[in-house]
Amino acid sequence: MGKTREGIMKHELKLKVNGQDYTLLIEPNRTLLEVIREDLGLLGTKLGCGGGECGACTVILNSEAVKSCIMLALDARNQEIWTIEGLGQTGELHPLQRAFVEYGAIQCGYCTSGMIMASKALLDENPQPSEQEIKDALAGNLCRCTGYLKILEAISSVANKMERK
Amino acid sequence: MAQDVYTVIGKRLPRLESEEKVSGTARYLPDLQIPGTLYGKILRSPYPHARVLRVDTSRAERLPGVRAAVTGNDTKGIRLCTFSRFDNKPPLAEERVRFIGDEVAAVAADSESIAEEALDLIEVDYEELPPVFDPLEAMKPGAVGIHEEGNVAYHRSWMYGDIESALKESDYIFEDQFRTQAQAHCALETHGCIAYFDQTGTLTVWITTQWIHPTRRILSETLGLPYSKVRVITANIGGSFGRSGGIEPIEIIATFLSKKTRRPVRIIHSHDEQFTSGRSRYPVLIDIKTGVKKDGTLLARKVRMVTDNGAYNNFGIAVTLGIGSKCTYLWGVPNVAFDADVVYTNKVYGGAFRGFGNGQITFAIESQMETIARKLGMDMKDLCLKNVNYPGQRTCMGHKITSCGLKECIEQATAAAGWEAKRGKGRNRGIGMASVMHIGAGIRNLYGDCNLSEAFIKMNNDGTIDLASGAMDTGQGSNTVLAQVAAEELGIPMRDINMITGDTSTTPQCLGAWGSREAFIAGNAVKLAAREVRLRLLEEAGKIIKSDPEDLILKDRQIYRKTNLQESVLSIAHVANACYNAGRPLFGRGIYDDPSGLGIDPKTGHGGPVTYSFGTQVAEVEVDPRTGKVKVLNFVAAHDLGKAINPMMAEGQIEGGVIQGLGYALFEDLVMEEGLVLNPNLQDYRIPYVNDIPKIVSILVESQDPEGPYGAKGLGEPPIIPTAAAIANAIYDAVGVRIKTLPITPEKILKALKEKEEESKKK
Repeated sequence: MGKTREGIMKHELKLKVNGQDYTLLIEPNRTLLEVIREDLGLLGTKLGCGGGECGACTVILNSEAVKSCIMLALDARNQEIWTIEGLGQTGELHPLQRAFVEYGAIQCGYCTSGMIMASKALLDENPQPSEQEIKDALAGNLCRCTGYLKILEAISSVANKMERK
Repeated sequence: MAQDVYTVIGKRLPRLESEEKVSGTARYLPDLQIPGTLYGKILRSPYPHARVLRVDTSRAERLPGVRAAVTGNDTKGIRLCTFSRFDNKPPLAEERVRFIGDEVAAVAADSESIAEEALDLIEVDYEELPPVFDPLEAMKPGAVGIHEEGNVAYHRSWMYGDIESALKESDYIFEDQFRTQAQAHCALETHGCIAYFDQTGTLTVWITTQWIHPTRRILSETLGLPYSKVRVITANIGGSFGRSGGIEPIEIIATFLSKKTRRPVRIIHSHDEQFTSGRSRYPVLIDIKTGVKKDGTLLARKVRMVTDNGAYNNFGIAVTLGIGSKCTYLWGVPNVAFDADVVYTNKVYGGAFRGFGNGQITFAIESQMETIARKLGMDMKDLCLKNVNYPGQRTCMGHKITSCGLKECIEQATAAAGWEAKRGKGRNRGIGMASVMHIGAGIRNLYGDCNLSEAFIKMNNDGTIDLASGAMDTGQGSNTVLAQVAAEELGIPMRDINMITGDTSTTPQCLGAWGSREAFIAGNAVKLAAREVRLRLLEEAGKIIKSDPEDLILKDRQIYRKTNLQESVLSIAHVANACYNAGRPLFGRGIYDDPSGLGIDPKTGHGGPVTYSFGTQVAEVEVDPRTGKVKVLNFVAAHDLGKAINPMMAEGQIEGGVIQGLGYALFEDLVMEEGLVLNPNLQDYRIPYVNDIPKIVSILVESQDPEGPYGAKGLGEPPIIPTAAAIANAIYDAVGVRIKTLPITPEKILKALKEKEEESKKK
C-alpha cells in the first residue's frame, strides 16, 4: 500500500489481461479504462464519452462485454479481461477483425475496438445470432461514421461461417 | 461509357489503415505521449452575458503542481481566424463573456486533477448583463447589444434575373416558413491538441484538424511566427464532419501555456465541452417563396433567411452565403432573390458541419417541392424531372454545370424504391423523395485565391513509393483513394505505397478536407505526380531495352510491351534501381488548382465551382398516429459521384451520411434554455444507434466528370443533405401532415394530426 501525491491510499489490484497476469498498486477512484490505458499501455481501448453511453471503451470481462470507462478498476480484481490487443495475438487477425476490414466496416476507427469486442462477446456466447440479436448486442455501441450497415454485414458474415456449437 | 479498363480504380478495396484500426494499434491524439506534457484545463463563463471585472489566477498558480495560468490579458487582441475580416472570437474573454461556456482563464498543471482543482481557485468578478437568445428578438431596435457593431453581424441581399416579374408571370405562388435546429457533430473522439512552444521558438501542435496547412497558416499569422517555425501534425482522427475545420480556442490557449512553461501542454475537450462550446450546425429560419407555372415549370425563388450565429462569428457568414448560392442550384430556377441576416445571440456559436448550409436550405426547397407537386396534381418525381438540372446548364448565377447525373439519380432511386407502387397507399405508411445538388470539389476563394492541392511521389529502388499529400484523411478514406490513384497510374499494388500525410513538415500544400474536394482536387494532384513518375519510368525503360516508351505499359510491378502482355520485359524495380544508381532517382510532383476561374464575382457569377455532385434519396416510413413515432423502414440513396474510385467506401459515405441525416430529421437537437445546453451528453443528445437504422440501398451513378480524376467528383457531404426532406415528405405521404421545423418529433406530429382532425371536423 502506498499513497499518491494527493494523499489517496493505493490498493493492490491483481488481474489478468489478454492472458497476462498483472499486479498493480492503484488509487480506488480509477476506472478500469484508465488502468488499461495508462498503467498497462494498451491504447487500443478508447475513451469516448466517458459516461458509458458510446461503447468506445468496451472490453470483455469474464466473457461479458463491459464499458470500462464507468467501471472502477478495483471491481475487476482477480478477473479476466480481454482487450482488442488480445485478439489475433498469433499474428493472424481474428475472423471478426478480418471481416471488419473486408466489409469496409471501418471509417474513422474510433468505435472499432469497442464494436469488435462487443460482437466478440456476442459470438462467443451465441455463434449464430439473428440480425436482431446482433443489433441488441451492439445497442450500447455508437458509431457516427458508418451508419452501422457494414458493421452488421461484417458480423453476420462471421456468424454465418461459424459452426453451431 | 467506357467499360472498366482499370486494375485498381473502381475496386472494392479495404482502406489502407484497416489493419491498424481493427487491431487497436492505430493512434489518435489522446494516445500520443510526449514526455514532459502538462495538462491544461479551461475556466468557462457560467453566464450567458456578463462584463468581466476581474480575473485573479494568483491562488490557482500557488497550488502545488500548477505550472502556469493564462487570461485574456495574455491573448489580448487575438481573434480566432477563419480567414474572414469579421473574425471576432477572442480565445480568452477580454472584458466581456457572451455565452455560457465562453473561455475566461486556463491553467496548465502536472495532472488533470490538479488542473481541475486549480480552476476552483481562480477568482472572477462578473457583472451580469441582460442576455438575448432569440435572433428575431436580437434584431429588434433597442435589443441588448452583444457586440459593439450591433447584433446583425452581416446582411446580404442580391438577385439574379427579375424576381418580381417572374412572380407576376407565375400561375401559383407558394410561401412557407421552415426552421432548423442546432445539430452537434458527435464525433466520438473530441477535439484536442498538444502544443509545444520549444526553447528554439518553434511551435509544434498536434491537433485533430481536417486541414493541416490552413491551420498552420492560421497559427503563424495569428501568433506572428514564420510558417517555418510552425508545425502542425495529426494522428488518426476519430471523426470530423466539419467540426475540425479551423481552430478552437484551445490551440491558442495551449500555445500560450506552453510559451510560459516551455513544456508541451495538452488540452482535450470533454464530451460536455464539445457540446457546450464546440461549434454545431447553424440553426436557421427560412422563408421561401416560389413561383410556378401550371405545367410545373419553376420560375422564381425568393428566399429570406435569418441565421442564428450564436455569440461570435465563425463560419456563420460563409455558411449563409453558401446557402445563398445553393438557392440557385437545384432545379435551375431562372430568377432567384436572396436576403439574409446573420444575427448574434448569447448562445454557443456555430461552425462548419457536413453540407455547410445545404442541409438547411434543401430541407426547405424539397419540402416545398412536394407541396407544389400536390397542388399541381403532379407526382413529385415528374415535377423534379420537369425541372431537372442537366449537363451544360448554366445556373442563374452564370455557373456552368459540367457532369450531371441528377436525372439518372431520380429515375434509379424511385425505381429501386418502388415509388409508384408505394406512393399514396395510406395506412400510415408513406414514401417521400428529395434531391441534392452540392459542390463536388470545393470552391475557389474560401481560404485563399485558389483551390489547390500538391503531391510528391518518390519511387524507391525496389519500385515501392512514398506518396506525400497535404490532404487529410479524417476517416472518410482519402488516403486510400489517393493511393488507388497512384497505384493505377504506376501499375503497382496498394501495399507498395507508403502514404505520408498529416504533417505540415513533410507534406506539400493542400487546403484539406472540406467541400467534398479531396477525391477531385487532391486526386488530380496525385494523378499528375504519378504521371510524371510513370513517364520517366517508361522513358528510362525505353533506353534500357531500346524501345519507344510509347510502346510500353506498367502493370503488376512490371513493364510490358503493349504488343505482348504475357511476358514482361523489365521489372519496375529494376528501372527504379537503375535510375538511382545513375544518380537520378525517380520523383514526381503534381500541382492541381481548380481551373474554374479567379474567384467568384457574386454579381456576375463569374467563376463558381468546377463541378457539382448530385443525388436523390427516397425514404419509406411508418408513422404511429397514436404516439407520433416515425419508423424509417427503407431507404434508397442514388448519388452521382462521377466515378466510384472505391465503391465500398463510397457506399460507406452514403450510408453514414443518410444515418446522420436521419438523426437530423427526427431527433437530434442541441436544446438550449436561457443559453444553457440542456443535453450536453450522448445520453440526452441522442444520435442514431443500431436499432434506428433502416435498410439502405446505395446506388452509385457515374456521370464521368470531364475534369475529375478518372471522372470522379466529391461525395463526402451530399448524402446527409436531402435526407431530412425525404423523410418529411414520406411522413406527409403517410399521415398528411407537413412538419416544417426540425427535428420532426412525435410531439410535433401528434399536434399536427390533432389540428388536421379539428380542421376536418370544421368542414
